[in-house]
Amino acid sequence: MVILAVLALVLGVLVGTFDVQNFLLDALVSNKDLVLYLLMFSVGMSIGLHKGIIRKIKEYHVKILIIPAGIIVGTLLGGVFLSMITKYNVGESTSVVSGLGWYSLAGVTIGNLAGAQLGSIAFLSNLMREIFSFFTIPFIAKHFNYYSCIAPAAATSEDTTLPMMMKYTNEETVVLSVINGVLCSAVVPILIPLCYQLKF
Amino acid sequence: MLILVIMCIGICIGNRFLPPKYKKANEIFQIMCTLSLIFSMGVMLGKDEHFFDKLFTLGWESFLFFLVPSVCSVILVFILTNRFMDDKRKKEKD
Repeated sequence: MVILAVLALVLGVLVGTFDVQNFLLDALVSNKDLVLYLLMFSVGMSIGLHKGIIRKIKEYHVKILIIPAGIIVGTLLGGVFLSMITKYNVGESTSVVSGLGWYSLAGVTIGNLAGAQLGSIAFLSNLMREIFSFFTIPFIAKHFNYYSCIAPAAATSEDTTLPMMMKYTNEETVVLSVINGVLCSAVVPILIPLCYQLKF
Repeated sequence: MLILVIMCIGICIGNRFLPPKYKKANEIFQIMCTLSLIFSMGVMLGKDEHFFDKLFTLGWESFLFFLVPSVCSVILVFILTNRFMDDKRKKEKD
């Protein structure tokens, strides 16, 4: 998926640079909001299909929220710190990091809110988060604890980075990882516009 | 807000009406939408005359926007889980 995403981006940049004119391409680019709505509808259905999630949430009770809360708060603190060392304000910085590794949604949503440049930063930084989490999970499992392995993966912990969780942690962490991924994925579409409204 | 409403409708339909056999088809549909959106974003970037000049800056800033939040979240989750959750691996060692 990561390779396909990078290929789609590179192909798009080439088409834009050489100003390729085509009816289908123009229709796709001008109706990207509609595609985003279809994507969100489909993501909602994916979350709805996780039938066992309610039972697991009851089993772990409030403790189930510790990991996603830690990830979200830690990520937002990082965003606030970045607003101090970059030219972006708190709203822009925190909205970029609010993608929690979901690079496609973050890139497109922030692109719509703040323009292509910040959208690209959101896309690339969240893509890096997903890619680097593959390599950091074994290190974190060895030097921190199993639960901390979920943190770099954030919203991707229920799908793309799950095989690494299975290999380097235990069953309990894998279950928590899936639940964390669902919760983080549900929060991302709310968090991005909410953070972007912060104007300081 | 509209995005959230659309997602909630999707959750209800997925939970109540969608048979699990369509899970794979739904995932493929998501991939198609995602790739279309990324491609559209690439087209917009490519149309920007100064895009390649900006690429170095974007790359460096993107790296910072990945690194800092990831490190902060790992540290915070480590502190919280050490304090509030049992690490079974630690128990096994003991």
